[in-house]
Amino acid sequence: MSRAAPTDWRVYDRPELLETVSFERRDGLREALVALEALHCAACVARLEKRLAGQVRALSVNLPARVVEFAWDPRAVPLSRILNTLDEAGFAPRVLAQVQDARAAIAERRAAVSRIGVAALCGMQVMMLAWRSYFVGGGDGSALDDLLRWAQWVLATPAVLYAGWPFFRGAARAFSERALNMDVPVALALAIAYLASAWRTVSGHGEIYFDSATMFVLFLSVGRFLEGRTRARAAERLRLLAESQPLSARRRTPAGGVEEVPIGRLAVGDEILVAPGEAVPVDGVLMADPAELDEALVTGESRPVRRAPGERALAGSLNAGARPLTLRVEAVGGATTLSQLARLLARAQGERPRFQQLADRLAGHFILAVLVLAALGAWFAWRHGPDAALSVALAVMVASCPCALSLAVPTAFAAASSRLAAAGVLVARPEALGRLPHIDTVLFDKTGTLTHTELTVRRFEALGDEPAGRCWELAAALEKGFHHPIARALGKRGTAVVACAVRNDAQGVAGIVGGREYRLCAPEQLADLPAPARAILASSGAAACTWVVLAQGQGALALFGLAAAPRPEAAAVIDDLTARGLKPELLTGDAEPAARRLAHEVGIACVRARQTPADKLAYLQALQREGRRVLAVGDGLNDAPFLAAADVAVAMPQGAALAQARADVILTGGSLAGLPQLLDTARLALSRMRENLAWALLYNLAVLPLAMGGWLKPWMAALGMSLSSLLVVANALRLPAARRSRTGRGAVESLESRHATELG
Amino acid sequence: MGILFVLVPLSLVLVGLAVGIFVWMARSGQFDDLDNPRHRLPDDEDAPPPAGARRRG
Repeated sequence: MSRAAPTDWRVYDRPELLETVSFERRDGLREALVALEALHCAACVARLEKRLAGQVRALSVNLPARVVEFAWDPRAVPLSRILNTLDEAGFAPRVLAQVQDARAAIAERRAAVSRIGVAALCGMQVMMLAWRSYFVGGGDGSALDDLLRWAQWVLATPAVLYAGWPFFRGAARAFSERALNMDVPVALALAIAYLASAWRTVSGHGEIYFDSATMFVLFLSVGRFLEGRTRARAAERLRLLAESQPLSARRRTPAGGVEEVPIGRLAVGDEILVAPGEAVPVDGVLMADPAELDEALVTGESRPVRRAPGERALAGSLNAGARPLTLRVEAVGGATTLSQLARLLARAQGERPRFQQLADRLAGHFILAVLVLAALGAWFAWRHGPDAALSVALAVMVASCPCALSLAVPTAFAAASSRLAAAGVLVARPEALGRLPHIDTVLFDKTGTLTHTELTVRRFEALGDEPAGRCWELAAALEKGFHHPIARALGKRGTAVVACAVRNDAQGVAGIVGGREYRLCAPEQLADLPAPARAILASSGAAACTWVVLAQGQGALALFGLAAAPRPEAAAVIDDLTARGLKPELLTGDAEPAARRLAHEVGIACVRARQTPADKLAYLQALQREGRRVLAVGDGLNDAPFLAAADVAVAMPQGAALAQARADVILTGGSLAGLPQLLDTARLALSRMRENLAWALLYNLAVLPLAMGGWLKPWMAALGMSLSSLLVVANALRLPAARRSRTGRGAVESLESRHATELG
Repeated sequence: MGILFVLVPLSLVLVGLAVGIFVWMARSGQFDDLDNPRHRLPDDEDAPPPAGARRRG
């Protein structure tokens, strides 16, 4: 895509835009994120680093994503000079807006990783030092024993206080809300074990539990991390896809020139220019020329819409024509249609019922029981002295801590997510897998979901004497080099003839081939269509296609009917879903005949056409009120509110960035065939999860009497708890193997090894 | 056994160093992406010739 005018990067130095695209660090430097289209290889990276040397600091390059992140000193170098350098070097820079939420998610993930590292490193050392007490028994008051105790204290301190911090924080939050969560017994056990051990280290006698405490923190942190992993990945995607709206516009000055200004500076009544292929930055009224606009992002309509002067162009639509557009700004900022869609989306997101994990519910009851039992056990053991009481209380809390219980769910889901990722299905919100087996209705969007986004020629009717092959050749010759969807569909066929003097105007395309002038236009443009053509256009199925007529002078030669072709796998997938007892339905903004025809082709009985985003949302909520569980499959920004309100939302990858960010599952493979796989894997994951929960409960109930009776030392309890957790993890990892025998698909070994490294 | 009074504090220092290095690595984003790097090798095969061969006019 070439730009009509060289970009004036100076616009990015304006304070309002600088605030959007960068943020100030504590040391006064600013950080920005820039996508570079032309960043391909390590050699490019080396060239980039050489070019930017001296201008930026802390340059970090993400080669697969083609994104660089850097810090610079705004007092010494303006951002525009850096962007200019990148542009001149041919990297085609594009400045990305900063997404604060995504930044926070990344910071959180980094903190989680370093917590696990600290817990693991310190925990290993503590256990090494505790080894002597396992055999000799501690508390003999020797100098060596003192040394080992103090060293363990030193090592356990960062593990418990730093790595265990989220548990203390969670417990404090639960207390302030007068509720119980998994963090309460964990934090209590950690605090008691740590404080008692510290006291005994100072006093020099009695048993210490630093080893149990650190092991406990490590296993729990790993469980937490696995749970949050896939969500963090979705946030990273969001960060890279942050540029769904242009940040600047070209405004016509009173003097007749053109200046680049940030969108925030535009006022109602300003005149702006939009180059071919660029997005319209704000809602506006077309001034002089008719325009062809691709409104897929805003309305979901895949075909470009022709708009006459005086009509509105919506923010977010693309200029699909060949000429720059002039618009008079009509709405800015929050008043644009795109922003309103985003608000609708936010509302739907807020209304989404909070999913309560099965494990959390179970654990909630369990925790109270554990706390009561620990207190009871300590009370009974008190007659043997405070040491025995403490030991029993700790053993009960550690042994029967719902740790395996808390791992049971996330590990099964993480294994399922990895299995699906290899099959081209990205699970952005693992808890959605738990809802999948209860789904009974599947709502599909049409364009881009059941069909391809690209138009293809679905019908061809020869009208004159020219052979069909010749008509195709002529159409291809005329449309060569144009970029709007109709041209792409007709022009992709190879052709031996070349059209010259091609001109594209509001009436269509015209050009000269072999000395005769031919034109391709909408049928309405032709004064007298032959009777057969009229019959075809009036027939019932005709409205499903966009029609283009090839004509020589006033004589029509052929009719091309273009429509988005259904995905080849769509019919099989719908069959599969129906066979599972699910009810597929089609919801689309398109006209009735097009929708009916597609539904018939892929085998969907229930169709609702001409649906606005608000209609779709209302229909979905009506279904939910009837008690139906709805899986929504969509694409495009107009689907986003509807996706956000569905029980489970699945997005196709071509969809707008926003829709993907809100979806629970993203079909990264670009094929609907991922849907049945998703349902299968979710069902398996759920049964693994149930097995895990059953085991964890059984283990906890079995070990509880032993701990209560004082037969179980805290270190044995910690070991038992850890082994139980490992068993749960191992069971979850059986998931891919079970799938292999069913489908014979590969990529299983790599998954297993990946999990081994994740958990190791 | 006297040597332990040297070795144990020494091990504490080493662990401290290891923890410091690990935390620094995590904070600098070393572990941000554990999935994509393994795909980099196949990506490289599609890369155009080195920059020198396609320098802009």
